Amino acid sequence: MNRRTLLGGLFAAASVPALSACSSGITSLDSEGTTTSGGGSSKGGLTIGTANFTENQVLGYLYAAVLDAAGVKTTVRPNLGTREILIPAIKGGDIDLLPEYQGALLHYVAPKATATEEGEMQNALTMALPAGLQVLPYGMAEDSDAFAVTRETAEKYGLTSLADLKKQNGKLVIGAAAEVKTRQVGAVGLKDVYGVEFKEFKSLDSSGPLVKGALKKGDVDVANLFTTDTDIQAEGWVVLTDPKNLIPGQHVVPLIADRKADSTVRKALAGLGNALTTADLTELNRQVDKDKKDPEDVARAYAERKGLTATG
Amino acid sequence: MTIDWSWISDHTDDLTTLTVSHLQAALSAVLFGLLISLPLAVVAHRVRPLRGFLLGLSNVLFTIPSIAVFVLLLPVSGLTRTTTVIGLTIYTLVVLLRNTVEGLDSVPTKTKEAAKAMGTRPLRTLLTVEFPLALPVIMAGVRIATVMSISLVSVATYIGDGGLGQLFTDGFQRNFPTPVIVGVVLTLLLAVVADAALVAVQYALTPWTRRRA
Amino acid sequence: MYELFKNLGDWLTSGEQWAGPDGIATRLAEHLQYSLLATLIAAAIGLPLGLLIGHTGKGAFVAINLSSFGRALPTVGLVVLVFLASGLSMWPVYVALVALAVPAIVTNTYAGMTAVDPDVKDAARGQGMRGHQVLFQVELPLALPLIMTGLRLALIQVVATATIAAYVSFGGLGRYVFDGLAQRDLVQVMGGAVLVAVVAIALDLALSALQRVLFRHRTA
Repeated sequence: MNRRTLLGGLFAAASVPALSACSSGITSLDSEGTTTSGGGSSKGGLTIGTANFTENQVLGYLYAAVLDAAGVKTTVRPNLGTREILIPAIKGGDIDLLPEYQGALLHYVAPKATATEEGEMQNALTMALPAGLQVLPYGMAEDSDAFAVTRETAEKYGLTSLADLKKQNGKLVIGAAAEVKTRQVGAVGLKDVYGVEFKEFKSLDSSGPLVKGALKKGDVDVANLFTTDTDIQAEGWVVLTDPKNLIPGQHVVPLIADRKADSTVRKALAGLGNALTTADLTELNRQVDKDKKDPEDVARAYAERKGLTATG
Repeated sequence: MTIDWSWISDHTDDLTTLTVSHLQAALSAVLFGLLISLPLAVVAHRVRPLRGFLLGLSNVLFTIPSIAVFVLLLPVSGLTRTTTVIGLTIYTLVVLLRNTVEGLDSVPTKTKEAAKAMGTRPLRTLLTVEFPLALPVIMAGVRIATVMSISLVSVATYIGDGGLGQLFTDGFQRNFPTPVIVGVVLTLLLAVVADAALVAVQYALTPWTRRRA
Repeated sequence: MYELFKNLGDWLTSGEQWAGPDGIATRLAEHLQYSLLATLIAAAIGLPLGLLIGHTGKGAFVAINLSSFGRALPTVGLVVLVFLASGLSMWPVYVALVALAVPAIVTNTYAGMTAVDPDVKDAARGQGMRGHQVLFQVELPLALPLIMTGLRLALIQVVATATIAAYVSFGGLGRYVFDGLAQRDLVQVMGGAVLVAVVAIALDLALSALQRVLFRHRTA
């Protein structure tokens, strides 16, 4: 008994200087790291992955345009799939950089997160992201999830907000990409926050031809769309308001692997983030979807017009 | 559904890249399929009890949807070309294995006995007598496997690869028929050209079959 | 690995998973409906075509080449193309599945017909049989084994490929594969794949049993 306490005391005494030395070691290394290069290097070039919808490809090529101008060699891999596929891929090293959306990404890495304000979400993301990944400063442009109905449906059921859906529980069909069924910002959150239950969840696509076609045809009553989709206005669809803030702010934010995050990359992407507005992004999406221009060309033309590709 | 010809002329470079990548995936799969099938076929040909098992296994693999195979490979090989090639290789096995076994079966016993009587060692007999005589049947399998693989590569577009298949998802998302039509036509052309090339290869490899014709 | 198979076992055996509008029972029924209907349509097109070519010997070159050409048709491309033309409907699914099944049926039917011994046909004609009698009473029964092989091959391919229906918003077992991909839920993907394989193998066994019954009838 006595001996054990003695030994314990010895250990405790011995470990104090060791611990403090250790922690000071970490801090000094950390501060050294940030002042020089941030730990990563984009020297060998980097691979940008994008999700399976137009806007994400536009963003991927915008990243490529500004990074190429900054002297970083990039490869874009368009149309890789959903966040559920992309995050493991960036962790595994198949890709290095992803255009992401603040709120959606936060809910993916921390499903119980409560932050809704941009700064809070950025902090929460920094805390919650798995080791080896980080977010760079978020940009001005924002693309939220929206739940929309046709004008006729809105009038028929008296729908203006997500809360109104509860009165029609078990009657309406929702259409969205398959991953939305299991996401907080999706069927799960609609039930938790608004108590909404649908008659059926139809797996379609991300604000693409299936979900829009189904809404138009009446195969679904409620559709999950992106706020930057020009068809919402063109078709006169009604976006349901979100009084309980289920849908977080969705500023565009670069998700990058630590190994590639150096000051050149940070600077180039920050420049883009500060220039690109939501209206710009909506317009670029429209050029790709409606004018059938290549996302790559549209992105490059924009970056040049905004002076984001000026070398130096 | 009209074709936007200017889109095609503006994208010849992209189309070339995709076509080459498409062909590369399909041919790699057939090559790996052969590397696996040839030794397995010898086993299936010589060891009767294993024959049914091996052929049955390749048949069962064939019934699994290709898209599922690609997805299930993600934890192993990620979003890479390797995933595409492994997936496609699995589907070539059903044809390559069956045809190689049938090819080896078709070699007359007398011919093999003659080689044995002349003191030729078994491995040498296999390489210089059995495989060459089985070649027409094996090549028929290679042709079917190649055409099948070329048609199947596009499924890998769901995991971000898929060569010309990328044109399908792109056209789908943007309600834009031109890339889709071009993708289908190029896939068919690729299959026809590859098949013709294989016929030529077979012709060159089997000079002894020509006299009959 | 063990964990994955245990979860797969749970997924396949849970009662909850089998019930409801997106339960396994519904998806299974949808999958069977797509596959069987597509194969039936393909047989209605491919069988007469193969029989006609085999019986008359005309157009064989064109038909056989078209069939091998058809084998190269990328299903995904065809589905998207028909989708863009027809909008949200079942057309893309059926057109693609039928196009997949017809070549196997035509080539095997034709191969079965050409394998019939010419002497037998001559003998039948010598006995005063008419063209259609030779076709239906002599050639068709003799060609039946290869015709059945073609149908079985077509059905297996169609069952495996009917997963594509889920890509254009419809049901079937492909729902589990595509949704599992989007949600990165490998258990769901595996469950869907296993069910598709089981359906394909079960239907193949059923057809081969049918084939045996037909033969017994003929030889008895």
